[in-house]
Amino acid sequence: MSDAQVTGETTERNLVETINETLAAEMRTDDTVRLLGYDIGPIGGVYRTTEGLIDEFGDERVIDTPLSENGILGTAVGMAMRGERVVPEIQFMGFFYPAFGQFMYTLVKMRERSGGAVDVPLTVRMVCGGGVKSSEYHSESTESYLVHTPGVRVVYPSGPREAKGLLAASIRHDDPVVFMEHKKLYRTHREPVPDEEYTLPLDRARVAREGEDVTVVTWGAMVREAEQAADAVDADVEILDLRTLSPLDIETVLDSVKKTGRCVVFHEARRTLGLGAELTAVVNEYAFDRLLAPVQRATGYDVHFPGNQIEGEYLPDAQRAKYAIEAVMGYEF
Amino acid sequence: MALWSEERPSEDFYRVLAPDGTLVGDPPDLDDDELRELYWTMKLTRAFEDKALRMQRSGEVSIISRCRGEEATPLGAAAALSPGDWCFPLYRQRSGLVYWGVPLDRQLANLMGAEPETIDDHLPLDDATEPPVNFSPGYVPLGANLPNTVGSALTDKLNDRDTVSLTFVGDGSTSQGDFHDALNFAGVFEVPAVFICQNNQWAISVPAHRQTASETFAEKSDAYGVPNERVDGNDIFAVYEKATEAVERARNGEGPTFVECVTYRIVEHNTADEPSVYRDEEQREYWLERDPIDRYEAYLLAEGVLTDEDIDAMEDEISEEVASAVAAARDVPESAPHRMFDNHLRGESWNESHQRAELERELDGKNPFVDWTGEGFE
Ligand SMILES: Cc1ncc(C[n+]2csc(CCOP(=O)(O)OP(=O)(O)O)c2C)c(N)n1
Ligand SMILES: [Mg+2]
Repeated sequence: MSDAQVTGETTERNLVETINETLAAEMRTDDTVRLLGYDIGPIGGVYRTTEGLIDEFGDERVIDTPLSENGILGTAVGMAMRGERVVPEIQFMGFFYPAFGQFMYTLVKMRERSGGAVDVPLTVRMVCGGGVKSSEYHSESTESYLVHTPGVRVVYPSGPREAKGLLAASIRHDDPVVFMEHKKLYRTHREPVPDEEYTLPLDRARVAREGEDVTVVTWGAMVREAEQAADAVDADVEILDLRTLSPLDIETVLDSVKKTGRCVVFHEARRTLGLGAELTAVVNEYAFDRLLAPVQRATGYDVHFPGNQIEGEYLPDAQRAKYAIEAVMGYEF
Repeated sequence: MALWSEERPSEDFYRVLAPDGTLVGDPPDLDDDELRELYWTMKLTRAFEDKALRMQRSGEVSIISRCRGEEATPLGAAAALSPGDWCFPLYRQRSGLVYWGVPLDRQLANLMGAEPETIDDHLPLDDATEPPVNFSPGYVPLGANLPNTVGSALTDKLNDRDTVSLTFVGDGSTSQGDFHDALNFAGVFEVPAVFICQNNQWAISVPAHRQTASETFAEKSDAYGVPNERVDGNDIFAVYEKATEAVERARNGEGPTFVECVTYRIVEHNTADEPSVYRDEEQREYWLERDPIDRYEAYLLAEGVLTDEDIDAMEDEISEEVASAVAAARDVPESAPHRMFDNHLRGESWNESHQRAELERELDGKNPFVDWTGEGFE
């Protein structure tokens, strides 16, 4: 079902509740869905996304593991190779790196090197992002490492409503998926989420707002910042919420930029080789003659995520997006 | 609601001081001043961390993990070191840092989220405040400290120095690949390293019996040819004695040792945690009775090394010391935003200069995206 078709009753939900309920719904309909991770059982996740699931499904469906990310991912891949729809959790993206071995060697490559014979239908839930005054290594947005790697879908909801359809689709999909959960979105924002079950496509951007003057390409927690910027700026802004970072929905990006003639890429991750670099290249390659201004990147800086006293100055926000929009609007050849 | 079952670890371990403070073995050869210093360090650590906890509640500190009830383990281990040795701590070893005089104000400023450069500017270390033991920055990614410690020790071995490197690993972190790499390398190269397993039986919400099917953590090092000991981690004498033997072995060129110290995390994992959600807090009572400070205090009082008046006087001094650290840490100004760029690479790249300028403009309320030539703003 595409997003346009979702109708009917809705309930106000935050992201934590939505993820919790979607996991439960998928586990009810498919016995092969199992959760793997540390601190997911009795505690229900350090952010409570798996709260109550061990009570309903037991400890063979909600499996607390030893404290090893590489062990979690490698075991999950092995289970997925045998047809289980495993949903491993990485508690913080900053602690994903011990699992990079299994990620690079098996998860992203199993299908290709088996000539399509072996699927790895798992969904890695990856808790990421800053802005909650966490400690060191707890605020990473290093999705570029993932997107740079072929063979894995990278999905990134901007809020509860998107998350419900994207998570259900990810779990049901036969490709491996990394499902990014921005921790700042967990509890800061509630919105009406359709009660009915639905999935969203794992390769389509969403036009979050239509506009004629400038396209802002963004995702995750930056979507709402972009919306605030659009409200505050003297321009008719089109906002694309990418939703899936790999594969990229290039068509939607190009259609929009060809229409508006201006493009700002807006992301929380560092700038150098952040996804903005790729998007800028694609726009230059295929929409150059429509551009009324150079593509601008409003991003985090090329530094390790700073301590919590100054994370506010690191993090892109509506003001930074507004500057970039104003810059491209004011550009003259 | 599901709760974890707990399995009490075997207490068939090396112990000198029973929970009631009576001796069941030979105490280490320490004079009264040294005995009092160990006591003072545990008390100061506890008072400092309790203050930091209150500061977290009031929003001044973002998060803190306390070693409350575990103070004897890092302290006994660190006290076995000598000036010039190296120590690679995590986040739950504060008593070890306090023992060697890592300044409390600097520790607190760090907990308050200041950048390291800001702390160095405002609370610089000098000859008087530089700890005689070398401390690495505290490690947050679990296990990462362990191979680094092996590298440190290998460096001393290759350079014929008799320096020792000591580090810690939680029960949970023994599940990391880095743990196995480190013990394996340590054994193969016979490095002068000491590994202290601070087994507090919990890794956030996951109990130790979910980390390993081994009966003890100590025996893990057998497979790597690294000798091990298993001690009562709440007994300052037991930890100190076995750590001292391990440090001596390392210094004498006899290779690494792994010491499991059995203790218990009687408090929350950190200030974002609520243990009653996942564990039966009855166990806590059992371990509260085995508190490292209480038993040591009972011993010192019985031996006449301390009197009640001494303790009162110490508590006053400790309050003052904590208060002055708090005042000094509060005097450290908020870090300047441009500090985020510091100490990545030497020299200034075009990119770094440009992004520093962008940040500066943003802070000045000017548009940072109007350099259309790469030649700078204006
Ligand atoms: C590689 C890595 N994974 C996950 C975490 C998040 N984390 C921080 S502390 C902790 C539990 C550690 O347990 P243990 O090793 O027993 O040490 P303790 O906190 O009990 O002293 C976890 C999972 C981390 N810091 N690093
Ligand atoms: Mg532990």
